[in-house]
Amino acid sequence: MKVLLQNDHLSLLARAFVGGLFVVISIDKIADPASFATSIGNYRLLPQWSLEVIATILPWLELLCGLSLLAGLFVRGSALLLTGMLFIFTVAIVTALLRGLDITCGCFTQDPSAEKIGWMKVAENVSLFLLILFVFLAKNARFTVVSYLQHTAGGRPS
Amino acid sequence: MREAIREAGILFLIATLLGLAYTAVTGKGLFADRTFPASPTGNSLPRTVAPSMIHLQEAQRLFETGSALFLDSRNAYDYDRGHIKGAMNIPLKEWENAKHRLESLSKDHPFVVYCDGAECNSSIELAAKLYAAGFTNVKIFFGGWREWEGSGLPTNKSD
Repeated sequence: MKVLLQNDHLSLLARAFVGGLFVVISIDKIADPASFATSIGNYRLLPQWSLEVIATILPWLELLCGLSLLAGLFVRGSALLLTGMLFIFTVAIVTALLRGLDITCGCFTQDPSAEKIGWMKVAENVSLFLLILFVFLAKNARFTVVSYLQHTAGGRPS
Repeated sequence: MREAIREAGILFLIATLLGLAYTAVTGKGLFADRTFPASPTGNSLPRTVAPSMIHLQEAQRLFETGSALFLDSRNAYDYDRGHIKGAMNIPLKEWENAKHRLESLSKDHPFVVYCDGAECNSSIELAAKLYAAGFTNVKIFFGGWREWEGSGLPTNKSD
């Protein structure tokens, strides 16, 4: 495991995948916060007043975390936030499934005809959670903005 | 770990500022218009004044007398899965393309607007658009599709 965590190419691949994914899924939510608020409200877990607050901030948090992972800046902070968010999303989906709610996830798109929640979605989230955990624990020493700056400033190989 | 928490805090702060700035500039989310636009008489009215909210009993009475047209503000997918019998689908997002379907009706024609249930807002938003378009007799069925279906009242269902 230690070898994997120190493999810069592997951590770059994981960062690129997770970062790209969160950048893409944030766009739809940023463009239409009202629909995203409706998607969150469908879970019937939070009070009405909180839905638009979350729909205002959360998509931007996803976008920033995604961009940070892609750039290799604030990697561990981004990974920490994303694991926290994914954990909450997954708990929300599981409770909705246990309550028998037939709702759309609201995770990747706000299109109501797509992505009904199910145990497959839970499995997806758990896989993604593990991947982000890998990014959090990885060394991330190369292929980052910081290493690039260090390289250009100090002339050291990154 | 402390460093990661500090980074997370900075990211959260930036995201909050960006989110608030974006929604303030675009008038979306938290900064969406909360009042009914100017009424036909030129007055701007708060949401609580008009149109009025009705509960199941009143909605059922209007349905049975056939005096009101029921408008379903949910998207076409949810409408196709099941809706109040005879209701017309005017998805909130497609208001601009769908409003011509109401042009033949008089401005005082009674409407009952509904969406999924008490937790959704699209019926309120659609009622605001109807009101702004000059329709003066608009009611919002607060319990919506869930309460109607749960009460075993007449529906059209695809399955």
